[in-house]
Amino acid sequence: MAALSAVAAESRTITGLDIEVRRAGKGPSLLVLHGEFGVPGWLDAYARLSQSFDVIVPSLPGYGRSQRPEWIMSVRDYAAWVTWFARDIGLSSPVHVLGHSLGGWIAAEIATIAPQFIDRLVLAGAMGMKPESGEIFDYFLESGRTGIERAFHRPEQCAEYRKYYIGDWGPDQNEATEDHREMTCRVAWKPYMHSLTLPGLLPAIATPTLIVWGRQDAITPLNSGELYQRGIAGARLAVIEDCGHMAEMEQPGAFAGLVQDFLK
Amino acid sequence: MDRKFFYFSEMGYNAYPQELADQYGYTALMFPNSIFDANVARDLWQMFLREHEFASEMGFDGSVCNEHHNNVISMQESVNISAAVLTQRIKGTIALIGNPLPIHDNPVRVAEEIAMLDLISGGRIISGFVRGTGIEQLSTNANPVYNRERFEEAFQLIRKAWTEPGPFRWEGKHYHFRVVNPWQLPLQKPHPRIWAAGILSPETIRWAARQRITYLVLGSALDATASCRDIYHEVAREDGWTPTSEHLGYLLHTCVMDTDEEAFEMGRHHFGSGVGRGGGAGLSGTGSAGSTTSGPHPEWNSPPGYMSKQAKTGAMAKQRQNSQGTYEAANKAGLIVTGSPKTIIQKFKHIIDRTDPGYLTFWAREGKKPHEATMRGIELLGKEVIPALREHRSALITGKEVTPWPH
Repeated sequence: MAALSAVAAESRTITGLDIEVRRAGKGPSLLVLHGEFGVPGWLDAYARLSQSFDVIVPSLPGYGRSQRPEWIMSVRDYAAWVTWFARDIGLSSPVHVLGHSLGGWIAAEIATIAPQFIDRLVLAGAMGMKPESGEIFDYFLESGRTGIERAFHRPEQCAEYRKYYIGDWGPDQNEATEDHREMTCRVAWKPYMHSLTLPGLLPAIATPTLIVWGRQDAITPLNSGELYQRGIAGARLAVIEDCGHMAEMEQPGAFAGLVQDFLK
Repeated sequence: MDRKFFYFSEMGYNAYPQELADQYGYTALMFPNSIFDANVARDLWQMFLREHEFASEMGFDGSVCNEHHNNVISMQESVNISAAVLTQRIKGTIALIGNPLPIHDNPVRVAEEIAMLDLISGGRIISGFVRGTGIEQLSTNANPVYNRERFEEAFQLIRKAWTEPGPFRWEGKHYHFRVVNPWQLPLQKPHPRIWAAGILSPETIRWAARQRITYLVLGSALDATASCRDIYHEVAREDGWTPTSEHLGYLLHTCVMDTDEEAFEMGRHHFGSGVGRGGGAGLSGTGSAGSTTSGPHPEWNSPPGYMSKQAKTGAMAKQRQNSQGTYEAANKAGLIVTGSPKTIIQKFKHIIDRTDPGYLTFWAREGKKPHEATMRGIELLGKEVIPALREHRSALITGKEVTPWPH
């Protein structure tokens, strides 16, 4: 599994911005939209998926080393930017899109606006839908570190949590975390992490959709996933046991298996 | 201009159990309002307003009021309401420090209300504007990322509403109005003096200098305030003008009693010691960025995007941190001024010599300090301290030796 080795991030000018991208694998294109913590590295789940797909993981503008433009003020702005990005790097649509958390919300918005862009859609622990029971955890009332810890069911037992988040954070990691929080704040402050229009638009999605959720997700209640399933005709909801919000990091094998089976 | 001497009190709800204050922090977001007793608050209001009135009677040039939300350190949920009451209770100037512009969705209403105050008071208003504390961005749900942008845009809109004939249209980034046409305009022309009040945010100091408005340093240590003045003057020099004392205000914790011993004893118990023990708001007072007064959640002081990286890590941030600590250390740093009239006259001469503030505000009542002691302090300030300081010209102007700090 060559792709299991680290895939370096490259920065280049795309959509007029300096954008950090990680990419590896062969096969149909799978565009990955990260969540509010950005992309800590080439994850095990990406490596597994890259056995069958051309996995493209950009850092969204304002995350990682990607430049932040002033004009991005909403999740829909991100949705528009993603389609621009895909065109600029020469992807032929439709492509598979996997969105995690905030990225899942962006992916769902794209599916409502530009259905021709997406072949198959995977929403993992997606933000965007206000749960009917429970509340989305408010990152802005806690420290960045507290939020990350809460996003894992058993952080200490998760290899990628230990790899990327354990121990003392240096100034760079602290600064990156604050940059990510600030960017998330720009687009999801109010209403917090959900859209008032998305519930009305979900029935317009005809794209085959898989919804993946960690059973113990303490960030986005499972009920949000159920609402996505209820809103998108034919969507399937798969729940991973012993897993928190960061399914792709906490249960990479199960997560990648579900995605791979669905996309095939 | 002749230096002006003002009185300030947070007018906080001081009837809280100490253990809750220790648990939550005085400025904390989650201090439960279940302890609030309306009857107690009614009585506190009368006491605080009487103290303002007494300061006016004792010869203060004016009173300062402010606004905070969601915590015990201040019962002033609207600075404009406090100011409206003071117009009827005191003779001198009423300085608002101020309207927290970013939390307002309708800055035109702020312009209207200040115009009303200026008219009702007969032109006695100073209109301060603030960004609001980090915590207040959370409690009022104002996006902290856009705090500074909203502050600056609202300021421009208000100043235009006061100075340019309406009706006009406003299509900005954060504010949009089909018609701006406030019927009441301020009595003072072109508008009341404007202050920007803050805790040494270098961006705000520079911005205030560019706008040529007074920057009011809120409860910060002497060295930091002197640095603030330097920054202000440097920006003014770049822009080709020379500030006067009118462009700097300084608000300082001040605890005066008949003797040094009494003053220190009183201050130690009622003016806090960095954690606000004894009813103080803590030496950083307003729970500002860098303060240690928000209990278990210091990050509430600085929600995402509220402070620039420079403000978080720059030299002035270090000065903020260094000035916190014990009551004695705070006195040594000039963050709080304690003593008999004789002692604090000398201390304030030193402060004036180094910073030359046109507006010196005594933050002279805090937390659970008894009413009688507060009244005595006001009397000493009014009868002994202020008259002695009125005569004193800053060494920055005269070129004389700086008055030594008493030991």
